[in-house]
Amino acid sequence: MADPYKPRAPFAPWDRRQLPGLFDVEETARRVGNYKWAEMKLFEALGGWVATVPELDVKMRLGTHCYHHAWHAELWHKRLPELREMNPDRLTVPANDAMVRFIEALTEPEAPELTIEKLVGVYRVYIPHFISAYTFHMNNTSEITDAPTIRTLKLALIDEFDDWRDGEMLIQSLIETPEEVDRAAAHQARLEKLILEAGGIAGPGSIGGDAGTTEVN
Amino acid sequence: MRKFFPVDSLARDSRFNQITMRQSQADPRTMLVGDATKQPKTNRLTPSRPDASDRARGLMHGIFVGEIQALEGAGRTCHDFETGTEAPFALKLDMARQAWDEARHVEISVKLSDWMGTEIGQYAENTVLFEAACSTDPVLRLAGVNRALEGLAIDVFTTMKEFGDIAGDPYLEFCEDWMLADEVTHVKMGSDWLRRITENDPERRAKALEFQSVVDKIFSFGGTRSESQESPIGLARRFRELAGFTDDEVDDIAAVSLHALEERKAFAQRAQADAVEQFSASSPT
Repeated sequence: MADPYKPRAPFAPWDRRQLPGLFDVEETARRVGNYKWAEMKLFEALGGWVATVPELDVKMRLGTHCYHHAWHAELWHKRLPELREMNPDRLTVPANDAMVRFIEALTEPEAPELTIEKLVGVYRVYIPHFISAYTFHMNNTSEITDAPTIRTLKLALIDEFDDWRDGEMLIQSLIETPEEVDRAAAHQARLEKLILEAGGIAGPGSIGGDAGTTEVN
Repeated sequence: MRKFFPVDSLARDSRFNQITMRQSQADPRTMLVGDATKQPKTNRLTPSRPDASDRARGLMHGIFVGEIQALEGAGRTCHDFETGTEAPFALKLDMARQAWDEARHVEISVKLSDWMGTEIGQYAENTVLFEAACSTDPVLRLAGVNRALEGLAIDVFTTMKEFGDIAGDPYLEFCEDWMLADEVTHVKMGSDWLRRITENDPERRAKALEFQSVVDKIFSFGGTRSESQESPIGLARRFRELAGFTDDEVDDIAAVSLHALEERKAFAQRAQADAVEQFSASSPT
């Protein structure tokens, strides 16, 4: 056995984590508050839609995914006080008014014939935006100071990718005619324009750019 | 999407046939008593009954559609109430968790129904469970759904678990045991939230408990569930205690259930007597 008293490097050669990150505590808290609000709106919509879709397999998937996003909201809720926000409700807000309009449009379909629109909104627009914002955050925050946020992002991303795949497969199985392709595309475009205006689930800078980020070296 | 979704709008595919509680209770096949002059018979669902197979399949289909409605009800509670002002955030998280659990129960009961030789839609769907989930007060929903209906689910799953055990069907027993564990959690969730939210509001608590009692009574109508052997489904006292019911509360439910059984028997006797009378009057002398 090696000498246990021999000095070793504090970081093993394979541990390449770096201190610098794009986000300070305040900016991280702001983003986390936006994430929590966005996840809450998603789980509420999924839960509400369960009763409105006649397709049994879709009904069960929506119920399952409803919990995934509620759990993400809970994880973000617990992270906020660790980021010096003792009143989590204060930061549990939409990134901007355009984000509110996006949610209104996303949750508009109710009729049982509109399952395609419901699924397209969630799985072709909203969840891909979660994936991109979470991935950007995970890849740009400090790997050492902000490790707890990275852990939550990783856990959430596992669900987001799985749910996205489930949803996309349901959509493909429901679309049977060229007209339904057009319906799906039109709804996707309408919602995509709204979330473009919002700048993503955390507003402008959700996946980079200048907004809200300061390189800390 | 609107807040508060009416029961007659529940979305179903073409296999499902929905009926009301009144229609269900008017079905003569659900009568529990035969000749009222004879000794009370045992109606408990056991494999030794001549109609055990069909009864068990019917009950499993009832569980299946009940789980769909429970899933829909939990989902609606996530959506229908504003977080903070109308329902606590943690309560909605619990309802989302319940939605996932109920979705799994639908999956389980579909597979069990298939295992037992039943097709989706083979039996009618009574939508009374979702009706209890339509209250505009989240506390009433918890009382009606989590405590009354999920409490009934504890009784049903206990009976089905025993049925699987006696029938030598480990597949059925295994699945019912897992679902039973979830249901105890859901009832406890309802009990805990009811106490927490109404801690300083005795009037609201009384109203919620009254609503629960009404739902318990509805589901006891016909004596389908009671401690009497004349009821197909027993009262699972131990699991109800685990779920947060006090001894007094279980005693109350037992009394309501027994009373409902007696009412149903009297109703059946009257119906039989009326039928005999009508038959006699219309027969040529």
